[in-house]
Amino acid sequence: MQSRKQERLGYLLSLILSVILAFAIGAVILAVSGHNPAQAYLAMLSGAFSSLRHVGDFLEYAMVLCVCGLACVLAARVGIFNVGGEGQLLLGAIAACQVGVWLDGQSAWLVLPLAVLAAVTVGGLYALIPGVLKVKLKVDEVITTIMLNTIAAYLCQFLAKGPWKNANKNIVAGTEQLNARYWFGGLVSGSNLTTAILAAAAIAFLVWYVMQKTSKGFEMRLTGQNPRFARFLGLKTDRMVLLCMVLSGAMSGLVGMFRVYGAEHLFKSSISNDYYFEGLMVAMIARYDPLTTILLSVFFAILKIGAQGMELSAGVPNQIYLIIQTVIIFFMAAERGIFAAIRERAARKKAQWAAQARQEGGAAHV
Amino acid sequence: MSEILRSIFSVGTFNQMLRSATPVALAAIGGSMTEHAGIMNIGMDGMILMGAFFGVLGSYLFSSAAAGLALAVLMGILVGLFFALLVVKLRSDEFIIGCALNTFALGLTTYLSRSIFGAAGTKGNPFLPTVSLPLLEKIPFVGQILNGHSLFVYLTWLLVLLMWLFVYKTPYGFWLRAAGEKPQTLRTAGVSPEKMKWLASILCGIFCALAGAHLSLGQLNGTFAENMSNSRGFIAFACVIFAAANPAKAYLAALMFGFFDAIGLRLQDYISSDLSGMIPYLITVIMMVYVVVRGQRRKQRARQNTAPADAPPAAAGR
Amino acid sequence: MQNRAVTFEHVSMEFPGVLANDDISLEIKKGEVFALVGENGAGKSTLMNILYGIHTPTAGRVLIKDRQVTHFHPKNAIAQGVGMVHQHFMLVPSFTVVQNIVLSREPRKLGVFCDEKKALDTVERLMEDYGLAVDPTAVVEQLSVGLQQRVEILKTLYRGADILILDEPTAVLTPQETDELFAVIRRIVREKNMTVILITHKLYEVMAISDRVGVMRRGKLIGVKNTCEVDEKQLASMMVGRQLLFDQLEKSGTPGEARIEVKDLVVQDNRGLRAVDHLSVTVRSGEVLGIAAIEGNGQNELLEAITGMRPVQSGSVSVCGQDATGKTPGQIRAMGLAHIPEDRLATGLSGEATAADNLLAGKHRQRRFNRFGFQQRPAAIAQYAQQLYDRFDIRGAGIDAKAGSMSGGNMQKVVVAREFSFDTPVLVIAQPTRGVDVGASVFIHERIMEKRNQGCAVLLSSADLDEVCRLSDRIITMYEGKITGEFSADAVTKEELGYYMTGCRTGKEAVHAKP
Repeated sequence: MQSRKQERLGYLLSLILSVILAFAIGAVILAVSGHNPAQAYLAMLSGAFSSLRHVGDFLEYAMVLCVCGLACVLAARVGIFNVGGEGQLLLGAIAACQVGVWLDGQSAWLVLPLAVLAAVTVGGLYALIPGVLKVKLKVDEVITTIMLNTIAAYLCQFLAKGPWKNANKNIVAGTEQLNARYWFGGLVSGSNLTTAILAAAAIAFLVWYVMQKTSKGFEMRLTGQNPRFARFLGLKTDRMVLLCMVLSGAMSGLVGMFRVYGAEHLFKSSISNDYYFEGLMVAMIARYDPLTTILLSVFFAILKIGAQGMELSAGVPNQIYLIIQTVIIFFMAAERGIFAAIRERAARKKAQWAAQARQEGGAAHV
Repeated sequence: MSEILRSIFSVGTFNQMLRSATPVALAAIGGSMTEHAGIMNIGMDGMILMGAFFGVLGSYLFSSAAAGLALAVLMGILVGLFFALLVVKLRSDEFIIGCALNTFALGLTTYLSRSIFGAAGTKGNPFLPTVSLPLLEKIPFVGQILNGHSLFVYLTWLLVLLMWLFVYKTPYGFWLRAAGEKPQTLRTAGVSPEKMKWLASILCGIFCALAGAHLSLGQLNGTFAENMSNSRGFIAFACVIFAAANPAKAYLAALMFGFFDAIGLRLQDYISSDLSGMIPYLITVIMMVYVVVRGQRRKQRARQNTAPADAPPAAAGR
Repeated sequence: MQNRAVTFEHVSMEFPGVLANDDISLEIKKGEVFALVGENGAGKSTLMNILYGIHTPTAGRVLIKDRQVTHFHPKNAIAQGVGMVHQHFMLVPSFTVVQNIVLSREPRKLGVFCDEKKALDTVERLMEDYGLAVDPTAVVEQLSVGLQQRVEILKTLYRGADILILDEPTAVLTPQETDELFAVIRRIVREKNMTVILITHKLYEVMAISDRVGVMRRGKLIGVKNTCEVDEKQLASMMVGRQLLFDQLEKSGTPGEARIEVKDLVVQDNRGLRAVDHLSVTVRSGEVLGIAAIEGNGQNELLEAITGMRPVQSGSVSVCGQDATGKTPGQIRAMGLAHIPEDRLATGLSGEATAADNLLAGKHRQRRFNRFGFQQRPAAIAQYAQQLYDRFDIRGAGIDAKAGSMSGGNMQKVVVAREFSFDTPVLVIAQPTRGVDVGASVFIHERIMEKRNQGCAVLLSSADLDEVCRLSDRIITMYEGKITGEFSADAVTKEELGYYMTGCRTGKEAVHAKP
């Protein structure tokens, strides 16, 4: 019998163990490829913390990871897997951006809310498609969302190259730049960090609060854990799944808006470099727990920005952080299987002994 | 208008179609194996990337394209084994592992490429030969399309045939499909479904490695570029779904992707290549919906056929 | 002695916490049809799974054709000539009939290829030989259930079986298909000298087809008889047994107004077959109406239709005077109904959630558990859950432990505690004590009786006949979706019930049995 506390402790232990092992494997790869692991890891640490600018950068990236990760968590909580966040993010970004371009000259008080509305609506509607297909027709949402990602990427590319193209010839695929008065204010000069992080923090808090603290969150949990039981209790499970999928898409779209109005100031495809997938991986490592997702977002953002700093200072390719991150995932995903295999073996041995003992006992009777 | 049509149905288009389709088709053959074994494998993109990198690495280290190919296949087998270890043996979520595998491959190959070749990457390593048959060359239109491609464009035809035979004409193919569809049935028949899943993973690893090696060692003449798989794994995955994991149909699906890719490039002046590139994905989604809906209808009809004979017709019609 | 097909010697099979087979010794002769009957959970399937090599017995020996089985595995059993047709078919839906039959033993050509022509020829010869016609090139998923079963039998024959185990083969068949199956069994036994072991709980089938019959109850083999020397009544009484395990419960009060009214209800099962067939029934306040039926005769579908978990084809259901036909489970609950479902893990709770969450579920919107109407009050919830936990004597690792980690009995108590604490005027209860230890069963029975005495209308369905008799005021028997009889619980014996449950007697006679 396992209580929740024990489970949390077990999770924490395997997470720490996985991280240590991943860094060890990273060290081996570093050493083999001719770098000094200790030096590299130190460079990574200083790459993230040596200046305020770097801190700002990793906080901005943590914001992206966190909101994307929470979008995934929100959908996963009710048992639907939103892999389509990347597409929702891109579409949300370009829609929000274009609102700013069209309404150029209007008050920021009008433009920003409308941009948010555009991002949320477009992202949400784009998530609704796989949601409806899943709920009504039982079409696997993982595959449809993967396809819809590519479709969205092409569509954005088309818009950024075609009808909404920047007048500047040097920018091949990008929309017009936004008027500076719509930008989120910078918090640390020279870094990507803007006031968008405050909005993101509010969203993160809200998501955590709704999921963990309210009776709605309780219903979501029941729906995800056992939909038949939820229906049995009288919950409207289909509606709940659709709602969460739409909200998940809206959050992804909002991340796009944050990127455009925060760091980039125009839409181009590099607005997101599979950021949603990285957020999704953080959510996976966090086992879809909101608070853990938030905390791990910061950890992995430090890792990434630190690795970029390390590349500059120590000449080690920054991709080592991708290796470390995925090795952690491999360990975390396999952990249950490993323990189950150990337990199974033990149980089988025990059963054998018991049978042996019984047979001996039986023989004694005869 | 006729100019557009002429541009679409030109030698160049079909030539390009074959070029674009081949790596996707190779990966899709591999993906068909795992799909048949009941594993949703979205890690193919990473597998391709590994194949592309280790192909070039082998070629660079041993100054031989054949050695490159061998190294790529060896790594493909290892990746397949690793995938099966996690997904089949340790029963991890195949989606998580697939996702992580893609990112892992991106990280590892980019890291190693930068460490070994520097930021500029590597070019001009020994590459796989192109095949040019004088006889073929003489046939006017078709010859021009088919001739002068890299080795694997032709080998792929053979592999498609082989794997089609494997899946549909050999006992192992039957076991493979049964392992995915109804593992319990296969087990009570005395064959381990897990073993078939291991086999499928390894085959998928090999084929994706071939796809990658063809891409870097064949198509691009011994060049490795970062993230050069460029989502081909996902296109291959779409082909697998589209073709219901039939290797022959998957090849045709890959040709379709190749075709849209090619006319996208050709017709840049008329319509955006981005819009034409979108079409195959849209078709895939529509196909999926169609397949599911048709399956449900068919089940319903089968049910009505087996409804008790004494039921009044009104009830049966409902 | 060459005429023994199978011999069990002191075979026992113990699963964690359950003794499924208890010291069974049995001989089955070559060329006979042996019927194995018993209630659900009597251990018939377990015994046959041992023979087929799926389970390894914890004690005893099994001999197939006088050769002892040393290593239990389906592969070995098949090699010894044992074939089994499972209740759930082991067929690959997208394969053709031939492909399914030859699976894992495909004839080959050129070493690696499947010789489809040879396979087709072999299968066609087999079909002709045994008189089992199926279109060999048809895709299995498009065949009717009866034909699929035929494919299963052909599969075992192809593998060279001469001992055929059929696990409740008629459960999924129409009467016509059943007749055809019996004709096949007779033919293969008579002409090919095969041995057929039939697991069933329909007694008329036993009488119709078998040479000998073995009756199992609670893991024990109660007796083996020649079919011609017994009648259905004797078998029924052997099956249900006579022992009374429990004390009598106190019943008080008289039944009041109708709370559940079902009229002319038709419901389909998961396969789309008619499971409830124009059934009408009424449950009044202050009474327990028990349904006595053998598994798969529509009782589960009936309860699910009443509670909104399953669509209604035609007819009507009303709960507390309100129309509940085709309403959602939530709407029907709001009318005043609580429901203990048949399968607690699939429907009755969330194994991943804590005991507290499972106890709270359904009441979580109440004001007392929420601040401002939406924020949960953990302290109030914990207090409430702890209270229920104690009141229903749930024993586990506490309210914060996952429900899935509890024992079956305690899990069931969680479900009972939650549903009973809704304090509804109507209770629908399925299998209240399945897999639950005796102590917890007694406890749950007492709670049900409390509800009844408080004026609750209770509709109860259970595979355990003792339980139905003990708790009910009235009992209806169901067979193939129809009510075959209605009885006052004091005026009926279990033997009689068993007789009606197995379809030996039908509605008209039942009217006379009514006091």
